Amino acid sequence: MFNSEQFIEETTKKLRQEIKGKTLIAFSGGVDSTVCASLVNKAIGNNLIAVNVDTGYMRKNEPASIKKLMEDMKLNYRFIDASDIFFKALKGVFDPEEKRKIIGEKFIRIFENVAKDEKIEYLVQGTIAPDWIESGDEFRDTIKSHHNVGGLPEDMTLKLIEPLRDLYKDEVRKLARTLNLIVSEKQPFPGPGLAIRILGEATKERTEIVREACNIVEKEIENAAKNNEMDLPWQYFAVLLPTKSVGVQGDKRAYGFVIAIRAVQSIDAMTCAFSKIPPEIIEKISNKITNNLGNKINRVVYDITNKPPGTVEWE
Amino acid sequence: MIKIFVIDNGGQWTHREWRTLKYLDIETKIIPNTTPVKEILNEKVNGLVLSGGSPRIGLEGDLGNCAELLDKAKMPIIGICAGHQFIARHYGGKVEPSKIPEFGKVELIIIKNDMIFCDVPEKTIIWGSHNDEVTKIPNHFIHLAKSENCEFQIIKHNDKPLYGLQFHPEVEHTEYGIQFFKNFIKLCESN
Repeated sequence: MFNSEQFIEETTKKLRQEIKGKTLIAFSGGVDSTVCASLVNKAIGNNLIAVNVDTGYMRKNEPASIKKLMEDMKLNYRFIDASDIFFKALKGVFDPEEKRKIIGEKFIRIFENVAKDEKIEYLVQGTIAPDWIESGDEFRDTIKSHHNVGGLPEDMTLKLIEPLRDLYKDEVRKLARTLNLIVSEKQPFPGPGLAIRILGEATKERTEIVREACNIVEKEIENAAKNNEMDLPWQYFAVLLPTKSVGVQGDKRAYGFVIAIRAVQSIDAMTCAFSKIPPEIIEKISNKITNNLGNKINRVVYDITNKPPGTVEWE
Repeated sequence: MIKIFVIDNGGQWTHREWRTLKYLDIETKIIPNTTPVKEILNEKVNGLVLSGGSPRIGLEGDLGNCAELLDKAKMPIIGICAGHQFIARHYGGKVEPSKIPEFGKVELIIIKNDMIFCDVPEKTIIWGSHNDEVTKIPNHFIHLAKSENCEFQIIKHNDKPLYGLQFHPEVEHTEYGIQFFKNFIKLCESN
């Protein structure tokens, strides 16, 4: 079994020896990077600078809640609104791998800029096992380039420190519980954010649609779980499809886009089963999405694919 | 302490095999399949896992030094997915593209009782992910289990401690996955 206390003790000791001076951490406010920040903070205190980048592809109210988290954790932090840079870089980009690589590169360039100002040579990342496994290497096929591994530019100068590389999410959650971090049960959210939940071009306008749909899915499912109507899935969100379909709204022909709802059960993201959400909950989500986004969305579908053969996110 | 290494053939779940062994208090390490066989034998391991592989290598790849390893190693070996296919090919069996590949949930049907099924029910859910499969097993091999769309889910050598599993006991969704590992560990302990 996994022993969190022992891991925390050994890792902070190692980090103290490894890091000379100051270091940056790529901080998203998710379980992995928050645990990492807490460990490094234990090791070197305020010599750690947490950098959070608002890519524009964040979920509803996310930037504000991450800021609050960094403050509550008493981290020495920088918050960078780079949404214009990301929207511009993804203009006209349709290929999922290209999206992931562009986002990975932009992240690093931003970190490099901060590092230069602060004269820092290290970058801590909350990389966990599935990130490097799925990114591929000389042995393994690339399933998808995780922005923090396969999306790193070749010429990056920062030295990487990845204390959680051999762990899976369930183990990182155990660490988070031991460290008393409020994010311990938070669902995973990919680094490229909503950009990979928009199939095709991730424009500002389409981001607004998927942001709203994701918010509805999250709220309804979390409510249902709180009321014991279902178990909270491992991950649950909405995807905007590039396909249009015919509908009828108020005696009027409609021709709008499709939202797919995805919810899966897993412990480590390496295999996943689609969640058996009660039909009444699915119906509620569907109604809310088509009511709130009626002028854009007139059809909602539920993804019933396991991993394999599917992956959790669609891109 | 029992020592079992995982030979990495590039599978998506190689690291899961390592984790499963680690959780069962086994001394374990992932090593690339290009590691010299002499080095592996010098480690005095009690058993080896030949991992699954990158696409299609079970069908026609040479899996690094796995052939030499199978010829020289005396300890128990379990081949998973591409590792299983390679074992079959190495001993004279046949591997071909699956007519119906299996991805995800599959029901395992046990044909012949064996110690590898100790505390595993007769019908159990396994997860697979393969485009190729063994279509003919070598001489001196026994057919232990199948599924609806894959005849050779588990095979075993007649007199060597050598198993081949087409499915993946290391993933969370295989119901008795850990039990298969425990049974293999028992074999390593008694060998």
